[in-house]
Amino acid sequence: MSVETRQMATESALADLLEGPPVLVGSPEDRKLSEDIFRPVWEQTRRGWLALFGITLGLTGLLFSAIAYTFAKGIGAWGNNIPVAWAYDIINFVWWIGIGHAGTLISAILLLFQQKWRTSINRMAEAMTLFAVIQALLFPMIHLGRPWFFFWLFPYPSTLGVWPNFKSPLLWDVFAVSTYFTVSLLFWYVGLLPDLAALRDASKSKAARVAYGIFALGWRGSARAWRHYRIAYLLLAGLATPLVLSVHTIVSFDFAVSQLPGWHTTIFPPYFVAGAIFSGFAMVLTLMIPARKVFRFEHVITQRHLDNMAKVMLATGLMVSYGYLVETFIAWYSGNPFESFVFFNTRARGPYAPIYWLMITCNVVVPQVLWWRKARDNTIFLWFVSILVNVGMWTERFVIIVTSLHRDFLPSSWAMYRPTIVDWSILVGTIGFFGFLFLLFLRFVPAVAASEVKELRRELEHERHQQSHDQAAHGS
Amino acid sequence: MSALFRPRSNTIFKLVLLLLVGGVLGTLGGFMVWARVPAGTGQQDPPLQPVQFDHRHHISDDGIDCRYCHTSVETGSSAGIPSTALCMNCHAQIWNKSPRLEPVRASYFTGQPIPWVRVHRLPDFVYFNHAIHVKKGVGCETCHGRVDQMPLMEQVEPLTMSWCLDCHRNPALNLRPLDQITAMGWTPQGDPASLAQDLMKRHDVHTRTSCTTCHR
Amino acid sequence: MPPLGSGAKLPIYGQPAAPDRAPADGRHPWRSLRVLGAGDGPSREFDEGAAEPPAGFSRRTFLQILGASTALASLQACRPARQKIVPYVRPPEKALVPGTPVHYATAVSLGGHATGLLVTSHDGRPIKVEGNPDHPASRGATGSLELAMLLDLYDPRRERGFRRGQAPLAYRSLLRELTALAASHLADGGSRLRFLTAATGSPLLQDLRRRILARFPQARFHAYESLTEDSAREGSRLAFGRVLAVRHTIAQARVILALDSDFLAVGPEALRLAREFAGRREPGPEMSRLYVAEAQHSVTGACADHRLRMKSSEVLGFARAVAARLASRHGHSQLAPMGATPSGSPAPGDVRIAKESAAVADDLARSSGRSVVMAGSRQPPAVHALAHAINAALGNAGKTVEYAAPAFDDTTGPASLQPLARDLAGGKVDTLVVTAHNPVYSAPADVDLGTLLGRAPNTIYLGYRDDETAARCSWVLAAPHPFETWGDARAHDGTVSIVQPLIQPLFESIPEVELLAAFLDLADQGAHRILQDYWRGRAKGPDFERQWEGWLARGVVPDTAIAAEAAAPHFVEIAAAVKAAPQPPAGLEMTFVPDYKLHDGRFAENAWLQELPHPVSKMTWDNAAYVSPATARKIGVEDGARVELRLAGRKVEAAVWIMPGQADDVVSLPLGYGRRRAGPVGSSVGFDAGPLRASDAPWFAHGLAVAPLGGAKHVFALTQEHFSMEGRDLALAFDAKAWSPEKVEHLKGPSPTMQEPVDYQNQQYKWGMAIDLSKCIGCAACATACQAENNIPVVGKEQVLRSREMNWMRVDRYFSGPPEDPQVIAQPVMCQHCEAAPCEYVCPVNATVHSDEGLNEMVYNRCVGTRYCSNNCPYKVRRFNFLNYRGDMSPTEKMAMNPDVTVRTRGVMEKCTYCVQRIERARIETRLEGRAIRDGEFTTACAQACPANAIVFGNLNDPRSQVSKLHQDERRYDLLHDNGTRPRTAYLARVRNPNPELS
Repeated sequence: MSVETRQMATESALADLLEGPPVLVGSPEDRKLSEDIFRPVWEQTRRGWLALFGITLGLTGLLFSAIAYTFAKGIGAWGNNIPVAWAYDIINFVWWIGIGHAGTLISAILLLFQQKWRTSINRMAEAMTLFAVIQALLFPMIHLGRPWFFFWLFPYPSTLGVWPNFKSPLLWDVFAVSTYFTVSLLFWYVGLLPDLAALRDASKSKAARVAYGIFALGWRGSARAWRHYRIAYLLLAGLATPLVLSVHTIVSFDFAVSQLPGWHTTIFPPYFVAGAIFSGFAMVLTLMIPARKVFRFEHVITQRHLDNMAKVMLATGLMVSYGYLVETFIAWYSGNPFESFVFFNTRARGPYAPIYWLMITCNVVVPQVLWWRKARDNTIFLWFVSILVNVGMWTERFVIIVTSLHRDFLPSSWAMYRPTIVDWSILVGTIGFFGFLFLLFLRFVPAVAASEVKELRRELEHERHQQSHDQAAHGS
Repeated sequence: MSALFRPRSNTIFKLVLLLLVGGVLGTLGGFMVWARVPAGTGQQDPPLQPVQFDHRHHISDDGIDCRYCHTSVETGSSAGIPSTALCMNCHAQIWNKSPRLEPVRASYFTGQPIPWVRVHRLPDFVYFNHAIHVKKGVGCETCHGRVDQMPLMEQVEPLTMSWCLDCHRNPALNLRPLDQITAMGWTPQGDPASLAQDLMKRHDVHTRTSCTTCHR
Repeated sequence: MPPLGSGAKLPIYGQPAAPDRAPADGRHPWRSLRVLGAGDGPSREFDEGAAEPPAGFSRRTFLQILGASTALASLQACRPARQKIVPYVRPPEKALVPGTPVHYATAVSLGGHATGLLVTSHDGRPIKVEGNPDHPASRGATGSLELAMLLDLYDPRRERGFRRGQAPLAYRSLLRELTALAASHLADGGSRLRFLTAATGSPLLQDLRRRILARFPQARFHAYESLTEDSAREGSRLAFGRVLAVRHTIAQARVILALDSDFLAVGPEALRLAREFAGRREPGPEMSRLYVAEAQHSVTGACADHRLRMKSSEVLGFARAVAARLASRHGHSQLAPMGATPSGSPAPGDVRIAKESAAVADDLARSSGRSVVMAGSRQPPAVHALAHAINAALGNAGKTVEYAAPAFDDTTGPASLQPLARDLAGGKVDTLVVTAHNPVYSAPADVDLGTLLGRAPNTIYLGYRDDETAARCSWVLAAPHPFETWGDARAHDGTVSIVQPLIQPLFESIPEVELLAAFLDLADQGAHRILQDYWRGRAKGPDFERQWEGWLARGVVPDTAIAAEAAAPHFVEIAAAVKAAPQPPAGLEMTFVPDYKLHDGRFAENAWLQELPHPVSKMTWDNAAYVSPATARKIGVEDGARVELRLAGRKVEAAVWIMPGQADDVVSLPLGYGRRRAGPVGSSVGFDAGPLRASDAPWFAHGLAVAPLGGAKHVFALTQEHFSMEGRDLALAFDAKAWSPEKVEHLKGPSPTMQEPVDYQNQQYKWGMAIDLSKCIGCAACATACQAENNIPVVGKEQVLRSREMNWMRVDRYFSGPPEDPQVIAQPVMCQHCEAAPCEYVCPVNATVHSDEGLNEMVYNRCVGTRYCSNNCPYKVRRFNFLNYRGDMSPTEKMAMNPDVTVRTRGVMEKCTYCVQRIERARIETRLEGRAIRDGEFTTACAQACPANAIVFGNLNDPRSQVSKLHQDERRYDLLHDNGTRPRTAYLARVRNPNPELS
């Protein structure tokens, strides 16, 4: 007995050394896990939560009043002009879509690769994804000059006898983004089912039980249900995986397919996907680090998780930097005067140069600190890095869209772009709306997939038994 | 503890789901149908006119050619609504006491035009030209129907863009000899197809589906 | 104004006069088939509410909303509400087919000189102004001013009705009161009666003037024009001993020396001279060479092969240097006395002038008889006289320049205003009739007309708008628009045109003819009868009616041009005058220049012109104190800095704009801005030069002091902020020596594409355009014509600052070379109608697509406004309705819309369509006749207006068409050819013809 425990101790120490901290601290009982994970749902509403909720609610109001104003006045309420016909609208769209990539990547791809460390973070990441995509979905609609005709973007048999233009990347966007949203929603919801059932069974009040009961779709946890559940979950994961790559690839086509210097680049698809994952993980960290602290999830969402995510950020950050490098090299190598002008004159030295250099700092320089384990272990520091990356990725879209547009082929039509108060309201508003949804999620749904964590615990114990058995076998 | 839901709540739940999905699809489908049925396109709905003008009577009984009143149909974009003076050409002599024609006489003597109610309306961004259609052999009847059977003028065709396009893409079968333009109930003698092809050549008719043909 | 007399038939241009036409009573020809409630503004004439001021929530809107809400109650709301059709009660002349436009010939006058016009009338509404090919001053071309007059016609803010003090007057009682007033002056022969008129060549008005003077021998007429031509007048008197009008014909001129003369853009000959000038700008031995000596950067200067920068006051010295050289080197000894070689002082200016004048003189002499020296109306008489002398010496007189008796000989400058001012000050005037254009605003600084008007008991102002003068006059009578009244006018060469009304006056007004007639007890006869009576007496041969019809139909009265006469200059007097002229002093010089857009300020309320970019500076909604970079450095100011200009004790505030190519030590401020009472559009726009402009120096004055004021910079709204081409092959210009076809080889021909290009050769028509940069003078008349033809809205200064201007057609202007003395090139750019259009494949809803003939079509009603097409357009010629730029149009404003072009709503992209409405109209008309469209049978609005014939439009599948030939021209190149867009619009590189001795 004592031998085993000692062995186990050394094992874990060894594991610690090799693969960093564990994905689950200790091996808590199911009951203990349920309590810990469901506590945020049961406990009294916290003051801090209420305060944040109030703020985000206000910002949400700001967002929708800004949108209403835009509908009433027209796109002229924004700073857009000719030549800069796209600005904050598309910047925000691409930014949010990018952020919405981490969730599916974590849940689907890591699931297929059977990464243990996905388990306790996937729920939050998926929720984040969902809410980010909701923000993104606003923009294709509101950036139209005549939003009341948005349905012309869908192929349906109309009495006009005309169809959408299937050659246009914008149309591909419509399909890509809506598909992505649907699949992420299903994926998230299916994953949620067992926990909803658990909540139903554990709730005290009748109302809560009915509510959770309805959403639990009568889940009883029978072996049959579990089998179907697994298949469904795996299928959805398989479905979602290609989407992770396709969505941002198609979004990047909006630019790559055009002929504008600074947009017309073949490297955009991979470079956009990398950037998306980059910003997605940054946003997950931005949200998870405080949540983990507040709800005392440290033993479920361990250093190991943060560490891995930081590493992913570092990797994707390097890909993005490579993207910048190749873009610039090609601009010079192609010998196209317009291309090189954009990269060496407009961006680096033009009127918007500060934003360009801010982008370089946040996306290329800052992530390099993640090479050091100390940096990755310091959660506060990590949190700030993640925020800087979010900022950096926003400025990247600004540089791509506004800077390329404001000085293109004919100098006679060059002009500056200046955002209006409405532009800012919409940007801040979406952040508020995003936070608003996320707070609701934290309050009413378990932020960590309890059922999966329990499962994980059993897996881990099983492994240990295996190992100890092997040890014993060797010993004798 | 008692069961949270009764067995039939499953059925109710399924019903609710069905209603939600069906409702959405139904609404969309409803709009699509509405855009195609007469009620939506405004067919078969003759408005009341300030003067009880009877096309049937003037065409069938009096045998007046369309062009006698709609004078600019062969020269201008608009077919032209007859001036009060034109009405009075005849009605100064006949029915010159009829109370039904009081508004016409009033208009003639006061100089106040008669406010007819428009029956065939195209959107303002559609530039339709009567002259060219008539010249190419599209008869009045093709778009306006059997006016000789209309006591009150009504719209018989949907006048939707796809309806226009049907003919603009394949005009052949809607053509007739120029001397039959205003004829009502004309049917081609012999093989319609061959006549159509012949007319296409004779009238030098092309398919015109460029947007600026109608939208400028 | 009473309805036009029963004789009022308006023969249609290009149609034979039809005397058998049914007599139309005055009202009905202007009635039309009207569709109430239609969106794209068909005629609202006489609709309910037409007389109301444009209110935010008028009765009409209320009724609409009421109707809409009731409609909503029923399912019918899913269908548009029923409209009404209102036919004629009595049909008009046969010629008027509803929906088919017709052209009427008429004329408008500026500064007393007429330009013949053809006005397109659609269902009785004038909607477009075009040039009359038969008129000597137009030759089918139009300038921005004439084109924009249409907007004034429908301006709801124009003066309406009549008032005495504040009391409104009815037309009849007005005539009664005027007649009575006239009678009161009979006693003393009108010694206390004065008239202040504009310069006018109208035979009828001059005749009325004679008859009034006959009735009131003591009365006086004074003519005043802010942009007076007195110095030209005095110059001819000086040179020839009598006043002669100068006519230039440069079609044959090889060398042109413009002494501060902006002859391509300003003045009664501008349209014709621009065409003649452009006719000789193709490279080759016959190519002309243009020297321009000027201070401010003018349109003509931008076209010059050599632009000789100098102060306005130095021009005389330069001309004398030229004369001296001609005398000394080329044996024109008669020029010797007036010549003066520039002092050999080492001053760089003198050295430069010596070099340049020598080269110019030699060049002039080399092509004696085929050269011409032009003096600008801003220059003093001595310069004009000297120009006459040089032309005579070179034997140009009678060839490139002719002299003839003027169409009218009034002094129109300060000289004619001063006696009136004296009489007013002396209280010698009881009644003053003012028909001049807002003289209170434009009077010289030393004549305080505003106050003086108060001295006369009866000041009667016939004005088109409620302006500064109206505020000071006791009677204010609304004047009709030139398109609303009968009259006549004379062109610069004397050719008479009958001015015929195209529409019933929209608001109550009285034409000048009737106002003057009131002083002859003829007012009640009406302008039409008075006019006919006058001309009946002068018609040659019998059947006046038939001749009359002919005059109206053609727009000109035949053989009314004044014959040229031989005139020999008196060299001695000229020499004396030239020598007497003062030496140009050093220091800052103030120059006043006529504005290309607001003229003398009378167009301040014309939004089209306010928003039209200044041809050289690209400035909208403003004027500025233009200075050269060096001068700016010297004063220590930069763009937008507020300065105080002090001149002879008077001062005005203005903002500086640094203009490359401006002469050093010169501050030039365009006239016509800074209006204080010009409605919401024109009030306090720009800076008023008037307070600095004295009678003794109406055009330029020395002794200027400039004091920077500091404080917030003035914000100028320019449509083009970047003036360098960044070394890209955009607007190409070569010196004749350096030019060879290889220079543009890489910018034409097929470019590699992934897909097989669509072949449009087998189509019947393949529309294309060619723009010859050698001919283009950059006057921007094309832009105004486009605005009028295509219902393009005006967006206002704030939106221009956000670079959201809507003009489909812009004239790009690039500088090259040193900023002190750059070379300029103008390049009109509109949709290039690429055969491989980048805008098309990105539109998600197929709102912009290709026609079977390869036109790049924009379908407004399909556009949802993603603006992707604009992002992907390398030429950035697409315009987006960011806001509802139309707003609530007043009933009259709706009448100005061209019914053939959809009025775009908010949120819709728009762009140049190659005037597809004209293409389709021509197609239908010709197909009705069963024939093909002939080359030149119709053209786009821009090409039609262009005075220089720089824009040519036509069918590229017709090898004989002019545009096809130009597309084959060796100078042809494509804009941004490397992009592989294969534009249908081709550019012809500009070739300059500099003098080797000066390069």
